[in-house]
Amino acid sequence: MNSDTPGKENGAETFSAARREKEVQGAVNFEHALDSYQPKKNHYNFYFTYKIVHPWWDAVALGMEDAQRQYLKKGITVTYEYMAPNAASAADQTEKLLSAQQGSYDVIGVDVADEAIISPMIDEMVDSGYKVMTFSSSDAAEGCKRIAYVGNTHNYKDGADLTEALCAKLNYEGEVAILVGSKGAPCHEDRAKGAKDTIAKYGNMKLVAIEYDMDSVELAHELALKILREHPSLAGIVCCNMSNPVGAARAVVETGSSAVIVGMDHDQEALHYLDDGVIYCLGVQDCYSIGFETLQTAVKIADGNLPGEMFPEKRDEPTTIIHQKDAAFMLAFLYGDAS
Amino acid sequence: MMKDKHISFSDKSFVLTAVIGSLLVMAVVIGTTLWASKETAAETDEAVAAVSHFYLEAMADRRAKIITNLINNNFEHMEKLLPMIAEEGIDSQEKLRAMIGKIKALLSLRRFALVDEDNVVYTQYTTYTGGSRHTFLAADKLNKRVIRTVYRYGSSKQLCLAIPTDGLVLFGKPFKACFVQIDIEEIASLLAFDDPGRTYFGLYDRNGVNLSNTNLGSIVSRQNILEATRDILPKAEWEKLCSDFADEEHGGLTFAFNGAEETLYYVPIPDTDWMMVILIRESIINDQIRGISDKHLEISNLQIAVTLGSMMLFAAALLWRLWKISRMKLEAEMKNSRAFQSMANTDSMTGVRNKHAYSEDEAALNRKIMGKELEKLAVVVCDINGLKVVNDTKGHAAGDKLIKDASALLCESFIHGAVYRIGGDEFVILLQGKGYDTREETIRSLNQKIEGNIATDDVVISMGYSVLKPEDELLYDVFERADQMMYERKKELKRMGAKTREA
Repeated sequence: MNSDTPGKENGAETFSAARREKEVQGAVNFEHALDSYQPKKNHYNFYFTYKIVHPWWDAVALGMEDAQRQYLKKGITVTYEYMAPNAASAADQTEKLLSAQQGSYDVIGVDVADEAIISPMIDEMVDSGYKVMTFSSSDAAEGCKRIAYVGNTHNYKDGADLTEALCAKLNYEGEVAILVGSKGAPCHEDRAKGAKDTIAKYGNMKLVAIEYDMDSVELAHELALKILREHPSLAGIVCCNMSNPVGAARAVVETGSSAVIVGMDHDQEALHYLDDGVIYCLGVQDCYSIGFETLQTAVKIADGNLPGEMFPEKRDEPTTIIHQKDAAFMLAFLYGDAS
Repeated sequence: MMKDKHISFSDKSFVLTAVIGSLLVMAVVIGTTLWASKETAAETDEAVAAVSHFYLEAMADRRAKIITNLINNNFEHMEKLLPMIAEEGIDSQEKLRAMIGKIKALLSLRRFALVDEDNVVYTQYTTYTGGSRHTFLAADKLNKRVIRTVYRYGSSKQLCLAIPTDGLVLFGKPFKACFVQIDIEEIASLLAFDDPGRTYFGLYDRNGVNLSNTNLGSIVSRQNILEATRDILPKAEWEKLCSDFADEEHGGLTFAFNGAEETLYYVPIPDTDWMMVILIRESIINDQIRGISDKHLEISNLQIAVTLGSMMLFAAALLWRLWKISRMKLEAEMKNSRAFQSMANTDSMTGVRNKHAYSEDEAALNRKIMGKELEKLAVVVCDINGLKVVNDTKGHAAGDKLIKDASALLCESFIHGAVYRIGGDEFVILLQGKGYDTREETIRSLNQKIEGNIATDDVVISMGYSVLKPEDELLYDVFERADQMMYERKKELKRMGAKTREA
């Protein structure tokens, strides 16, 4: 995770505004070009399944569409399905993968909903001759036979970094709650684990609650309200996915709590809360690059290539922690939102 | 002389009247011209503001209409296409993609898509779950046309137009909607002005966010218009701008920034939550109308300059004439004065200086003698012999001739002296300078001539003379000695046979 020294407390304001803007813009790369690889076919057809219908994966989809357009300009059509359930579900993902096996897809891409359930299935598919890759937020379990992974490889560290920032802000004391996304989703679970381990390092920090919002803002809001009711002196909330910080911020504003929120991702509402100082910091992932590289890697895998010089077995995309002073830049950069 | 005096007086009155009148006329002409110019400029400004707003409103309305037409056309296209799609017998995703491809090519659409009841979106190349990406899909069922502004991750903004697809079933799946998504920057390219350096436009949402990524001049640029104008506009105007945006009201305002005048006009675009904003820097109309106004002002200024110049020339001519008349009058007066002076000091019979002149000169010489300023001065006293006899025997005409002849003789002899006739037959000659230096020779020569005249019965003049001595206090002292000498000479001439009073 690319982490800036946080906020006013330690003098990080020596950064000039222009430098801040440049660094914030470095968090997400919208300028991509296909590499020099020459695809072997003129048409590719892929199937991608991801955890949940959610703006985070919509951002990934835009990167994929950019690559798709660039292939089209080269005379190569890439068609694909990009499917997810409305609520994270390993069962639904299993169904989708079974269905995908009936289709004629060059590559099947999986954002693993539950590594314990999906990883063995991926192994079976690979053994059956299907070309399977993992992408975006969650890789399969260690040792899985998937061909390659493009996405966040440092979810544990993201959770630990955010929690470390929170602990420092709280002077390493106080009650803390953790909001997690979908149960079993590796990215969310890894971040939660990173958060728990960090809290455990400090004797005066106490973990008082862990809740799963199943990637629903509304549920995150309800859970945060519940936690704040049960722990009125709550000092901080660690949010492990994109919906968590929005729900938590709404609850903190409603209750007037002084709980410090740290969380993940680039939700527009969350960025406004960051701008207003309700959220202390956010870890922004480069979804666009994840999408672009996923499609480019899928084309290479479809042509029978394996990880090596052409593409890595795990392609990492960075996470950048941003603070209040960066929020306006990020809102303008991601959404053209200067309001 | 009287006639000249009369003309001068009339001319002076005329000239003064003309000058004052001219100045008044000039002041009135310049004043009224300036007032008219100022009024014209003020009225022009008002007209410019009115026409500018009218012009901007027309431009904004025209462009808003283009967007409205574009929206309506897309809706109509989709509504006409739906029955065709339903009748096409599409029984697979591949056929649907091919059909969408044909429709896109036919209508030059960047993105046309169908959505099934599970919010799965079908485009030409991609099928995806779109519940979070397309907010209009939040409703289970669409009842009417939907217009949405999409703030896409990556900061591009799009216009999404969707319609319900009631009853459409493809490959066994009911479909709930179809939509087109148009990049707002592409819409903006349809609205561009021919003079982008002077006229700007932008599409904004109700919060002032720039949707078209167009540059609204140097002040607003691509920023949020409400944020960018917050510190530039007067508070009341800024608040009105904000409330107009929030309430989707049209309006306009003019403001100055860094010496440049900016005029902007904004109109809401129906059904979109958008505002079309047009901004003109140093308005074209303003320039054009100002150009006309400036031309009129130039003409007025030229008129003033010509009037002023003409009046100044006229005034100069009049003043010159007045000066000339005054000078003529002065010269005439001086001439008259000199004539009177001359008449007063001249002997009318002989033309030499008279007794009055002698008295004036005597007074002046006395001042110099008393001041010891004079060293060389001689006085010659003359008396014509036999004048009484000639008068008595030959008449006064002959006597007068004798006097004139005597005067002429003296003037011829004393070339460098001042000759005065101070009595009937008495003359005085004052000698200074060269006349003084040559006195002896002159007197000797004249006496010889006079002595010769005795025999020929011509002019005989008895002369005596004396020079200024240091002890003399008045000219009279010198005169007395000369007069004494003259009487002695008279006796001497008598002895020589010259006529005398008694003879």
